[in-house]
Amino acid sequence: MSIWVKDLRFDYRNFSLHVQNLRFEAAKLTSIVGPNGAGKTTLLKCLCAILPIARDSLFLDRRDIALLSAEERARLIAYVPQEHGSAFNYAVQDFVLMGRAAYVSLFSTPSAADVEIAFEALEYVGLRRYAARPYFELSSGERRLVLIARALAQKSDFLVLDEPTSFLDPKHETELMDLARRLAVEKKKTVLVTLHNLDVAVKYSDAMVFMKKGGVVASGRPDDILTEPLLESVYEIKMTILRYDGRKFIVK
Amino acid sequence: MTKKQRALGLLIVLFPFVAFFVSLSIGVVHIPLDGVLKSLLSPIFPSLKQGLPENYFGIVLGVRLPRLLLALLAGAGLSVSGASLQALSKNALVNEYILGISSGAAFGASLSIVIFRQSFPPQISAFVFAVAAVMIVLLISRNSDSPIVSLLLTGIIVSAFFSALLSLVEFFASPYALQGLFYWLMGNLGWPGWGALSISLPLTAIGTAGLILMRWRMNVLSMSDEEARSLGVNIRREKLLVIFLATLVTAAVTSVAGIIGWVGLIVPHLVRMMVGVDNRRVVPLSAAMGAGYLILADDLARSLASSFEIPVGIFTSLIGIPFFILLLRKSKRIWL
Repeated sequence: MSIWVKDLRFDYRNFSLHVQNLRFEAAKLTSIVGPNGAGKTTLLKCLCAILPIARDSLFLDRRDIALLSAEERARLIAYVPQEHGSAFNYAVQDFVLMGRAAYVSLFSTPSAADVEIAFEALEYVGLRRYAARPYFELSSGERRLVLIARALAQKSDFLVLDEPTSFLDPKHETELMDLARRLAVEKKKTVLVTLHNLDVAVKYSDAMVFMKKGGVVASGRPDDILTEPLLESVYEIKMTILRYDGRKFIVK
Repeated sequence: MTKKQRALGLLIVLFPFVAFFVSLSIGVVHIPLDGVLKSLLSPIFPSLKQGLPENYFGIVLGVRLPRLLLALLAGAGLSVSGASLQALSKNALVNEYILGISSGAAFGASLSIVIFRQSFPPQISAFVFAVAAVMIVLLISRNSDSPIVSLLLTGIIVSAFFSALLSLVEFFASPYALQGLFYWLMGNLGWPGWGALSISLPLTAIGTAGLILMRWRMNVLSMSDEEARSLGVNIRREKLLVIFLATLVTAAVTSVAGIIGWVGLIVPHLVRMMVGVDNRRVVPLSAAMGAGYLILADDLARSLASSFEIPVGIFTSLIGIPFFILLLRKSKRIWL
């Protein structure tokens, strides 16, 4: 259940992403870090085929993502966007139920089993009691959890979260990362997150990927790769790594 | 779904049946409800005919019943296609009128009626130009920074273009044809004859049924394109299918009844206010509400003046637009 980026290229007008030979290990939490514009979100969107990708560049369990149908892909990999905007204020349970789209045929409606799966997903993120509430009445932290519940309803082995902790206070940030960690450990999902907070990344990740200017600078276990010269070359400011209680802390 | 929503949903389901039955008694000749019931049942129980004025039977079964059936199907079809297009464009302001579908269909149908003297079925011509109009609107407005504004603006522009083409057709029409065309364009449910209906009614029914079957899919399609894609939706294919079905319905209705505007916008809105935004309820209940609504609007058109009929399209606009403004001011959230 691993992801293999073989030779991925994606070009915008004034930006190009090029990642050669990168692996994301199964049932681990990998965080992707780097400055703004490094290509983190672009990489995630390529993985979920939200952006068009060429054949023979990205593989989920040795299956070429570019050759999968939309449904097959959604059953393998789920994407949690930063934010959701909609003209319609769906109830939380109806919102989470949309995670079952890849399992419900075009001219049909979700079965009782699909509804049950949606409720289980809500239960797992701890929001079962909000099932009947309208989505836009929730706080931003709760909305993030609902988006994760929808992704869980997809029952995919891979889960991709785009900056799940942005705009969250420390408490909600911790709760959300604890949840992401549990998904890798308990549910054996291969979890990818993009993060800006390096301390959070170091604390929760099994592996880290440092990106800059559309390419990968370093990847591996945080303990192995985290050095002051690496941080300075990626972020272009001086940072110091402090050791306390067996953990690394980064001071700017 | 709350208890209140459930109760309101049930009311919406009953609405067209009550409206249908009551409307059979309304018109130039008033027929009491028991007379309506007896006339309806008389083909099965001929004995009921005794004691009824002779003209009741012909008026109820021969004149009003077919007309009400047309109103029922047109109202259901227009409302369901409105609800679907709103989900698809993630915009509760959209309807078949704003997307240029109505103008395209009106031009297509009049082209066939005036220029080809109906040798080419107006339904097909209406459908072709309605599809052309909506595709032009969607192509121009995509990839815009503010998709909603550009969708509405291009809709207005394309509608204006097809209205100009329609004026050109009117310019070349004979005075006699022009009168009929004029009356038809304002939207009316007067009897178009079995020939036209035998094409339009099945097309309306098929399109409406298809959209109702896709009711849950509309929820997923109302997410942003990126989200819908990541949830496993083949966006391009499914969007085209919804547009195809909604346009088919609008073209089929327009080619027999002219432009009956604002039904597809008002009805789904009322339904959402009553039962919430889940399209599993909104789409089918819009069919029921739309059917009842158009039947009542047609009652007004038929009974307000005793010697002539006022086109129903005038009423749907006169009711629809102030109501729309009221809604616009009242609810902020779903407009976004």
